[in-house]
Amino acid sequence: MSESLEQSFVKQLKENQNIVHKICRLYTVDSDSHNDLFQEITIQLWKAFPKFRGEAKFSTWAYRVALNTAITLYRKNTRSISTSSFENHKFFIAQEDYNPEEEEKLKLMYKAIHQLNDIDKALVFMYLEDKDYQEIAETLGISEVNARVKMNRIKTKLIKILNP
Amino acid sequence: MEELDLLKKSWKKDNQKFEQVSESQIYKMIHRISSSNVKWILIISILEFVAWTSISLCFNTDDYFKKLHAESFLTFFKILNVINYAVIFWFIYKFYKNYVKISTTTSTKQLMTDILNTRKTVQYYVVYNLSMITVSMILGFILAYLYNPKFDTIKFQIAHDNYAMLFKMIGIFGGILFVFVFGFWLFYKLLYGILLRKLRGNYNELKKIE
Repeated sequence: MSESLEQSFVKQLKENQNIVHKICRLYTVDSDSHNDLFQEITIQLWKAFPKFRGEAKFSTWAYRVALNTAITLYRKNTRSISTSSFENHKFFIAQEDYNPEEEEKLKLMYKAIHQLNDIDKALVFMYLEDKDYQEIAETLGISEVNARVKMNRIKTKLIKILNP
Repeated sequence: MEELDLLKKSWKKDNQKFEQVSESQIYKMIHRISSSNVKWILIISILEFVAWTSISLCFNTDDYFKKLHAESFLTFFKILNVINYAVIFWFIYKFYKNYVKISTTTSTKQLMTDILNTRKTVQYYVVYNLSMITVSMILGFILAYLYNPKFDTIKFQIAHDNYAMLFKMIGIFGGILFVFVFGFWLFYKLLYGILLRKLRGNYNELKKIE
């Protein structure tokens, strides 16, 4: 029984690992901490997995656990603005449709996001994932109106960081 | 916001950019030990319960009262002991209830509240023990003063120098007590300050939204 549970978990996480990678990308600035956070999220997902009954998609269920781990359970400070190690991050793998100008803009955007606090990052993550405000509010435990207001403020904050 | 929209677009096709983790790597990962703050709170809390309970078990007051010929206090302290055990069990039960409530599938705010509540239970347990020890020390001091024959010479001195000696003794005793309690307070402040600093910061950020 537990063997098959383990197998099913490993298979589903392998298929949906990008959701965890994306969270790690927002919350960490180098490969080592990316891997470290990925590891902790995997443990927490596995711990919570027996309660996952498949009424939601694995990825929908997983992102909440992953966000909660990054914001609440993970002890190490993820908000370090180290620009040098930033270059080492594993998401800079060369792509076929490489567009240097666009890539530069994205790099600056990530740099700006890394300066936000953990809660703001969670909102940005859910915004990028196209979650509606009701879900964002539910995930964080705030009201929908406040989630909306907060997201607007974050956008203003990001503009300020990008155009000092 | 143009940049954010650009990011949103690339976000969707990002999927292949990450180094993929293999199944065997995931197997390895789930058998590793978590280093989350909840894990540490559990470990430290169990150590605290064990330590504080053994300290209160080691404080065998019976012999002390017999030595002082203050047996009349024995029943009083026996009742106090029973109450003490009941309180300890209540704390452990409360801690367990709070601990199992911690779940990563609830909302972030609920999760933070649950972790802080679990932590608070242990904190109250420590405060309870510290106050019990303080009260015991004060009682012990008073009893020793009243019943211990070793204090007779001191009592004699006190009667002679208009209680200056008594105030001096209370001063020294109070000083020791203060250092003792302050030391513990500082220790816990540091321990949990380091452990929960990030969590508290994020909790405050979340509260600010409302």
